Amino acid sequence: MKVKNCYLGIDVGSISTNVVLMDEDKEIMAKVYTGTNGKPIEVIQEALKEIKSKVNKKLNIKGVGTTGSGRNLAAMIVGADVVKNEITAHGIAALNFVGDVRTIIEIGGQDSKIILLKDGIIRDFAMNTVCAAGTGSFLDRQAARLGIDIKRFGELALKSTNPVRIAGRCAVFAETDMIHKQQLGHNQEDIIRGLSDAMVRNFLNNLAKGKDIEAPVVFQGGVAANVGIKRSFEEALGLEVFVPPHYDVMGSIGCCLLAEEYAAKGNKTIFQGFNIINSGYDVRGIECSDCPNMCEIVEIFRDGKIMARWGDKCGKWSNLIKKDIENLA
Amino acid sequence: MSIKVGIPRGLWFYDYYPLWKTFYECLDAEVIISKPTNRKILDQGVKNTVDEACLPVKIFNGHVIDLKDRADYIFVPKMMSAYEREYICPKFCGLPEMVLHSIEGLPPLIDVEINFNKSRKNMADTIYKFGFYIIKDKRKINRAYCEALKNYRDYKNAIKKGILPIDGDLTEINGGKIYDRKIKKIMVIGHTYNIYDSYSSMNLLNKLKKNGVHIIVPEMIGFEHINRHAATLDKKMFWSFGRKLLGTSIYLAETRDVDGVIYISSFGCGIDSIIQYLFEKKSRKEGEIPFLLLTIDEHTGEAGINTRIEAFLDMIEWRKRYENNISTYG
Repeated sequence: MKVKNCYLGIDVGSISTNVVLMDEDKEIMAKVYTGTNGKPIEVIQEALKEIKSKVNKKLNIKGVGTTGSGRNLAAMIVGADVVKNEITAHGIAALNFVGDVRTIIEIGGQDSKIILLKDGIIRDFAMNTVCAAGTGSFLDRQAARLGIDIKRFGELALKSTNPVRIAGRCAVFAETDMIHKQQLGHNQEDIIRGLSDAMVRNFLNNLAKGKDIEAPVVFQGGVAANVGIKRSFEEALGLEVFVPPHYDVMGSIGCCLLAEEYAAKGNKTIFQGFNIINSGYDVRGIECSDCPNMCEIVEIFRDGKIMARWGDKCGKWSNLIKKDIENLA
Repeated sequence: MSIKVGIPRGLWFYDYYPLWKTFYECLDAEVIISKPTNRKILDQGVKNTVDEACLPVKIFNGHVIDLKDRADYIFVPKMMSAYEREYICPKFCGLPEMVLHSIEGLPPLIDVEINFNKSRKNMADTIYKFGFYIIKDKRKINRAYCEALKNYRDYKNAIKKGILPIDGDLTEINGGKIYDRKIKKIMVIGHTYNIYDSYSSMNLLNKLKKNGVHIIVPEMIGFEHINRHAATLDKKMFWSFGRKLLGTSIYLAETRDVDGVIYISSFGCGIDSIIQYLFEKKSRKEGEIPFLLLTIDEHTGEAGINTRIEAFLDMIEWRKRYENNISTYG
């Protein structure tokens, strides 16, 4: 059996974790999209197991990249060569899909971003601030309230002929508005479409405020699965919106591309191998009481051996780690 | 035994502390400065402040509590106006009252009003009032103030040269290195109590330093430039802080002398809500300078701040390489 050279990209977000295996021709060999469920380590192990079982080939991982809010944890678990923020990772992935992309709209479980590009480089970006009203969690919650499956949300929105206006600024107000509209007797499709419009309005008024959105526009992230939201964006912007085929794992694809570039420079990977799926991980938390900062220190053990320690402001604990690892070795 | 004057390490602290510290020390008082902001100070402040106040005011109250049992007086002047026809944030104007009503069991406050809105004619009187808490001798107070002013000028000159008071300790921010065009030059702006308090800014300055950024603050471009540019505004900006920043933004839009601007603002700040928008409009739209707004609050989620900083630095790096026609992303 021929050994296949490939790259691994891992995106550990607040709501979902996804992993992509990409070959040297930038083809996606396998992808996994799953919920993080607050257990990132186990989920990463599970996802790697699934990737391995999907590809019936001998693999030679030449590079690994991680992104998402859990990128440092993921990097430590698998041994990553590149650890990148989500903005850069998403930007690079979209550029690979539409070379002259000018605007990227990315909406995930708990955050949303807008990235503006020109001549193939990122010129500007914004992320949502304190509130999750314009994100996937908001849609999930409203779908649950309406008693419909989130997967049907988009197609129902498209059936609407007379969308109602719903406040999109805040999930609580949106709910109040929605109940009111329901009790006036509006049909479900119109309310769903109203919600989609509200979310898009919120995104454009909040993140895109003062920014010039130009075509081509790429829409990615988990919410891009929702055709209703896509349509609302198209109508609000008056532009066509492209959803890439692997819209839900674009962060991981960006990581693969970054890992590929890193490897192309002649760097050897520090990937720990697929065997880590059989390891047992332990996490211990301690509160340091040496100063009034009372930092929450986290220690991560693999098969009883300490792997990482972080969370302190002064560096006292994290600096000790090297010595502790040497002592154990 | 000498009288102990406690100075809280918050709000105007980073702008004025060498002045007041020297002043009281020259009057033979013992000056005690509260500890650099830590979680306990923040927690205490949050617990003892009205909910609606901004984070810096809460932190200030935490510092007052830190000093409460260690000082004979706590220095909380009523800062109304530092320059003619200009004002300072309303929370500064009402600070002594706010502190008094938030915290129980306080020693007396030194809460003299500083108000130069009409003119500076009352300057001498104001200084005497501050001194009378310790001594009644006007000559001694005069002498102490002269000495204090000298120290204060040295301090301002140090900041101008890039020696910045991180947590109140003067630190050479760019390691004394001369700026090299190849590295990223970023201006950090915002209220001094947000920039220099490393706890509330989540260590922004040091994070940038670690990433090899050449950091500048508005003071380093010189007030003569800032004032000249601020004078070109359609209408006088009556907040001292706002005037300084808007002058800076016009200067930047014209000279395009930096690779990016990071604006650090505390959630709920009334002045920032206006200034930040005007600043962004000038520097981003007219000057095409990359702009990043970091909003800080009580939460300790550093991940969000780190992601934004990293992405911002990546973007600038990318842009710099593109403009110099070197390889693509990375």
